[in-house]
Amino acid sequence: MALTISCPVCGKRNGYEFRYGGEDKGPRPDEKGLTPRTWCDYAHMNACVAGVQKEWWCHKNGCGVWFTIHRNTLTNLEVDGPEVTS
Amino acid sequence: MRLERLPTLRVNPSEQCTVNYHGKSYQGVAGDTVATALYANGVRVFGRSLKYHRPRGLYSLDGECSNTCMAVDGIPNVRAENTLAKNGMRVAAQNVIGSADFDWMGFMDKADWLMPAGFYYRTLHKPARLWPLALRQVRKAAGLGKISPDFKMKGRFSEIYPTADVCVIGGGPAGMSAALAAAESNLRVILLEARPWLGGCFDYRVSAFDAEKKLFERGRELAARVEAAANIRVFKHAPNVGIYNNNLVTAFQIGPPDGAYDERYIEIRATSVVVATGCIERPLLFENNERPGVMQVGCAHRLARTYGVMPGRRAVFSIGHDMGLEAAIDLCDLGMEIACVADIRDDGQAPDLLMALAERRIPFLKGWVAARTHGAKQVKKVTLRSIEGSVKRQFECDLLVASAGFTPLTGALTMAQARLRYDAHTGYFMPTQLPAKMHVAGTMTGRNHPLSIEASGRLAGLRAAADCGADNADAVTVADTHLGRLPGPERGTKLVTAPVKGRKSFICFDEDTTVKNIKQAIDMGFDVPELIKRFTSAGTGPGQGGIPGHNLPLFTARYQALSGATPLPTVARAPLVPTLVATYAGAHHDMCKRTPLDELQKRDGGVFRRIGVWQRARYFSEDLSCREEVLNVRNNVGMLDGSTLGKFRLHGPDALKALQRVYVGNMAKMSPGKIKYSAMCNEDGCVIDDGVVVKLSENEYYFTTSTARAGETAEWFRYHTRYDGWDYHIVNLTDGLGVVNISGPNARKVLQKVVDADISNEAFPFGGYREFTVQGAIPVRAMRLGFVGELSYELHAPAACMVSLWEILTEAGKEFGIRNFGVEAQNVLRMEKCHIILGVESEQRTNLLDLGLGFLWDRHKTDTKTVGTVALRQAEGDPNHFRLVGIEMENPERAPRDGSIIVDRRIRGYVCTARRSFSLNRAVGMALVEAESAGVGTRLEIFEDECDGRRLAARVVPMPFYDPPGNRMRM
Repeated sequence: MALTISCPVCGKRNGYEFRYGGEDKGPRPDEKGLTPRTWCDYAHMNACVAGVQKEWWCHKNGCGVWFTIHRNTLTNLEVDGPEVTS
Repeated sequence: MRLERLPTLRVNPSEQCTVNYHGKSYQGVAGDTVATALYANGVRVFGRSLKYHRPRGLYSLDGECSNTCMAVDGIPNVRAENTLAKNGMRVAAQNVIGSADFDWMGFMDKADWLMPAGFYYRTLHKPARLWPLALRQVRKAAGLGKISPDFKMKGRFSEIYPTADVCVIGGGPAGMSAALAAAESNLRVILLEARPWLGGCFDYRVSAFDAEKKLFERGRELAARVEAAANIRVFKHAPNVGIYNNNLVTAFQIGPPDGAYDERYIEIRATSVVVATGCIERPLLFENNERPGVMQVGCAHRLARTYGVMPGRRAVFSIGHDMGLEAAIDLCDLGMEIACVADIRDDGQAPDLLMALAERRIPFLKGWVAARTHGAKQVKKVTLRSIEGSVKRQFECDLLVASAGFTPLTGALTMAQARLRYDAHTGYFMPTQLPAKMHVAGTMTGRNHPLSIEASGRLAGLRAAADCGADNADAVTVADTHLGRLPGPERGTKLVTAPVKGRKSFICFDEDTTVKNIKQAIDMGFDVPELIKRFTSAGTGPGQGGIPGHNLPLFTARYQALSGATPLPTVARAPLVPTLVATYAGAHHDMCKRTPLDELQKRDGGVFRRIGVWQRARYFSEDLSCREEVLNVRNNVGMLDGSTLGKFRLHGPDALKALQRVYVGNMAKMSPGKIKYSAMCNEDGCVIDDGVVVKLSENEYYFTTSTARAGETAEWFRYHTRYDGWDYHIVNLTDGLGVVNISGPNARKVLQKVVDADISNEAFPFGGYREFTVQGAIPVRAMRLGFVGELSYELHAPAACMVSLWEILTEAGKEFGIRNFGVEAQNVLRMEKCHIILGVESEQRTNLLDLGLGFLWDRHKTDTKTVGTVALRQAEGDPNHFRLVGIEMENPERAPRDGSIIVDRRIRGYVCTARRSFSLNRAVGMALVEAESAGVGTRLEIFEDECDGRRLAARVVPMPFYDPPGNRMRM
């Protein structure tokens, strides 16, 4: 609950206003030649990084935009880039 | 008998206030706490302790222990010391059989040898059958407040989420100086103070601050400056209850007597935090150290100075710091007889205080300490011993003021993950590593000189301002140098216990833990305070470690006597002070939406129910089966307010691509003037929404969603297209447009009277979409749908026009006997047609195919990456799914309740919706059942709560039940 998130439109706001959209896993895979296994990996499996991860958030109680941030999962704080800084 | 003329008073002696305690009225004055009002009337025993039923009295005046926890107006465990007395309050003592003074369970005190440390865990589990018996007895004998299961919390609760640049915790001299310093840089500052006034340790003291002012005058001067500063927001009577990373600070505030709330939750987001929570006193450990009549220095001093109540007639002091000497001198001047002052310290006292003691002929013993109090319910006599225990003296008295030293309130720091280390000079736990943008100030740094306290506050405030970008490096340097010239942290006393065995020396009052219990725990191998805390439960009570927090680690280190062993602190957790769950829960708002037709529906006798976020008219008749409403739609014409439907505009060059992504149908195959029914699935192929889509023009679409999904649809579209960078916009029109559904064989006749377009079956067929105006004024988007299975028009119009539209239709329908139908009638009507409502005829595991809606899915649409289609392909032919079937009851009069389970030897499915159908004279419904039970003709047994163990019988029948060819909606 202590998390604050920087929305690209509205700026730094209280984490309550956002909805988590999961890890950044890249675009949807092509359906041709997709095995159930690879689909399941894409849809349901997560890297669960202990450190900085790139992830999606939606400013649901604000402007409604989806965007990515980097968050250190160990401190639950937003960080500037993919490197562990603090 | 109040001291009425003291300038330091925080009560108003001229205004009376009466509280009721055990059936008797007690007169307090305005500003009294419950505890001080009772104390002023001679109450000394406030309750009985958890295990031993020992009498307990006023000790800290800050709610650091459960001694004065009482039941107030039915709420248990209210800290009487922190609760302002209000007229007519009903107060009762806790954990007593009888009264606080005469408790029938008082003999428990003699049974302490039966209850060594951890006895509860170690003795009561063998043999197992003894346990329930023991449990009952233990519950009867031990514990604090009781609450009735029927208790309903009264009061108004609220919440507030302010943001600040700098948040200062603690409104004492250091906190106020910090707030003022930070405010100099034009930052937004929040100041939190637990007491109802600012001033902290200056507020009640009459010693000199400087040549002109006394300490309390200086405190009030600072408070006036803080209150006058436009950019400092002060929350008084608002104790800090938690602090989290990212400098999120939480507190709860007690409302003013006639304010808009009784208590409120405060959650502050601050860039930088200054912790200036100050110190509490470290209790002195000796035999019977919690007997009523024993209290801390600040408690005795503030009782007199702040509340005007003389704490006793004749007092003995056993103290370890100069504030104790100061209090003894001041109380002597106020008229109290001081039998003796014993100081733990051999030296180090301030010379002017020693002089003042001598002038007043107060006997003073250096290197002495209280060893035991005598008196069953109240202190009558005190035995003092020299520190090494060789000599003793006794004094008659009714008050023992006892305090070993100070304890910094570090709860906020440990919660914020600061590392604490024992500091040998002060004896305090001091932060070695503070989290980013956090600063400490005031007495908790060991500084007790008034100028040092303020200077440390100022420095912390300036540093906090610098965290927020203030350009004040020079000011910081000046403040730092200034602080360095002032007296630094003072040496603290190291004494932990008086020279006694400790059988009745209580280290934790809340949990009745004695020094002896701690020794037992250490002897059993629990070697660190955190483990001892859990094993003996010391520090786990309502006082949140206020009493044992410092002594427990000190004693543990001392008792183990290991070389180099430094005391280790225990960790504090939220809430740092006891808080009502009701306060955390906050305001009780029923936040709901009302449709534009709300007033009209009420006027027409609608019975409203909460459906999702909406208040909707469910019935328009006393008969909850809605027979008349249903038959009127079947045979005549009815109107329904459908404004809760989700309504969206989608436009832009890539709008079609977005539709193709989320809808399972092929949305490219749409022609103007026609609606397309389709569904959305999630990644698992489970249906999440259904609705209709209309193509208004090239790159412009209008679509509806179910009521429940209206809030999330825009987010859903954007989420599933987030990597694509498509150019489209989605606009939620749910609240901007209203919907009237006019249905029944006479619907066209009514509508034709008011519209300017041809709406004959040829011009506006089933499945069509038209735009026209009603009475030449109201723009309407009309769809011909058949949700209820009759000729039906869904009219979408601007919310502002809805009342007029409804009135016009009502007027036009008068000659046909048009009437309202509610959500329940619609539910019956659509059930007869087997039209589903998602969430009723589906659950989280139900996919498109299970519902028989596979025809909506365009299997050739593979390049659109449509959400859910991969999973649908995999789920095809999977037998492990519930299927939606129609059921007919064998007894045509009796429908099972929605949600009843279908069983044979195990659960086979459940009933989704079932009703007695008046149109068909049968009891029918829809159910989700296992595939093997889904064949037409299968007999199902339904178990329902009300059927007395008998099962209701049903048979699977084809769907739909009403008008299978669908002619009536196409008329």
